[in-house]
Amino acid sequence: MKDNQTKPLQAVLHGMDGRTYKTMVMYFQGPCKGVAVVVEDIDAEVDIIDTDFAAGQDALRKIQEKGIVRPVIVLSREDNKLENVIYVEKPIRLSNMLAAFEQAKTITEKKGLTKPSPLAHETPVASKDVVAANGDEANNAAAKKAREDSDERKKTAKHKTAMQLDESGFSSFIGIVPGIDFSDREQVLKASYSPKNYFQGYVLSAFKVSKEKNRMLQLNSTWKPLLIFPHSHEVWLDADDKQLRAFASLEMNKATGTKLTITAVDPATSGVGGKLDRFHDMDAFIWKLAIWTSKGRYPQAIDINRPVFIKHWPNFTRSLITPHALRITALLINGPRTMLNISEVLNVKPQYVFVFISAAYALGLVGQAERRADELFVPPPIEPVKKESKGLLSKILGKLRTSP
Amino acid sequence: MSQYKIIFTGPVGAGKTTAIESISDVPPIKTDATASDMTKTRKAATTVAMDYGIMNLAGGEKIHLYGTPGQERFDFMWDILTIGGIGLILLLDNTRADPFQDMKFFLESFSKFIEDTDVAIGVTQMDLSNKPTIEEYHIQLQGMGLKTPVFAVDARVKNDVSLLVQALLYSLDPGLEEDE
Repeated sequence: MKDNQTKPLQAVLHGMDGRTYKTMVMYFQGPCKGVAVVVEDIDAEVDIIDTDFAAGQDALRKIQEKGIVRPVIVLSREDNKLENVIYVEKPIRLSNMLAAFEQAKTITEKKGLTKPSPLAHETPVASKDVVAANGDEANNAAAKKAREDSDERKKTAKHKTAMQLDESGFSSFIGIVPGIDFSDREQVLKASYSPKNYFQGYVLSAFKVSKEKNRMLQLNSTWKPLLIFPHSHEVWLDADDKQLRAFASLEMNKATGTKLTITAVDPATSGVGGKLDRFHDMDAFIWKLAIWTSKGRYPQAIDINRPVFIKHWPNFTRSLITPHALRITALLINGPRTMLNISEVLNVKPQYVFVFISAAYALGLVGQAERRADELFVPPPIEPVKKESKGLLSKILGKLRTSP
Repeated sequence: MSQYKIIFTGPVGAGKTTAIESISDVPPIKTDATASDMTKTRKAATTVAMDYGIMNLAGGEKIHLYGTPGQERFDFMWDILTIGGIGLILLLDNTRADPFQDMKFFLESFSKFIEDTDVAIGVTQMDLSNKPTIEEYHIQLQGMGLKTPVFAVDARVKNDVSLLVQALLYSLDPGLEEDE
């Protein structure tokens, strides 16, 4: 029986198709009681190769050519009497597999090839300056990889269609920022916020680190852990939108900030295994997080007096759609404008422009030109379609937006 | 009365028939037949002429929704079909071998129509294949000098198709306001 205090053997699988790979991951976690875990090659202590697959034979040949430095377990129907490998006959029997693990572990310890535990360290995180976690999360990488194919369609949150907010429901859904009267122009000009003072800032920093390191990470706060999967551009959070909305609006003071850390993903505490519906597309997640942080304010980094540009249309079918978001995008696609100009031209409240810009800015979709010449850019006039067509198009819009 | 149309196009199996069905007020007229050539590897039945649906608008006006046959051998019909069209909805199947090639093919084939009107792109089957990503489609489009709306779309979901058409309409005129 596995001693809970014993670190699992870190194994890399070679030459297996997706289904076999997934089966092996589950086999190690289940019947093998976690004696071994599947990790990336670079973190592995042992190679496990299915030589009944051509790719497995190829992998074994390459390992032999390089020279065997760590234990190799070969899974096959036939014992080909290979030298310097641990053979496990297929169909695999649990006792044989565990014995092979034990043998491999002994060799690893003797040779001093033991790798550090992936969950050894925890690193504090600040929204401004994030330091990558030590260790690795590759065991989860393997588990994630194994899930990808068949489970992709069960990630309902990731693929669900957009929710479209109308003006009447906007404030109640988004929440109101106390102390800002959007009917007062002076207050409108100052209605900014700093994302780095909120959960949004920490999430963005953690995403950046995860992307740069190309490693899965877990952002730990006083709330629930957020798991970041850079390879598939996904996040996992065991919370519904209502809970996230509430947490997003909390300003993180310095004391709270010091409690935020990023670590390797811990499957034992994250609970990621059984809840595929908690996976979100990373962009859609950032988008709504920014909306709930903004609540109608604009990011402090944007100069309200300078035009903003948009790189391309957001993926609106998978994003929370704020009032007039499509119109604002269509206008900005034609050329840069200041946020207040957009508000004026489209005759929409400034907070609708601000909240959209906040979400698009969080994704890096909008920016401001740095050159002085661009600031002098005169926004192009809208070229409306013919009056006859306009009436027709408006009717189509009305139909699309009102029909159930 | 003028014939107002929105054209749905894209390769075989991209979801044109389903998309029209999602927003049509009447059961769409389908001209599907059992697939007999390479099409059958992707779907059992395919559109051999065109699909047709209707959106009934306030005031008794109608918008005709036409889906082009996906197979390229019917491309002689495309020019005729687009006459009087408001704009183009291009649906792309992300599980196909080279969705970018499909995109380029259809954008080039309808280039004149797009120049006169506009286009919005829906990428289907992203729950089965998440590559290429929407971002990668935008990169390709930017290389072609286009800033077209590109959304992940489930053609069975009315809201997805509706948003795609809305994006097309706002692309035509950002100042457009809803008329209920």
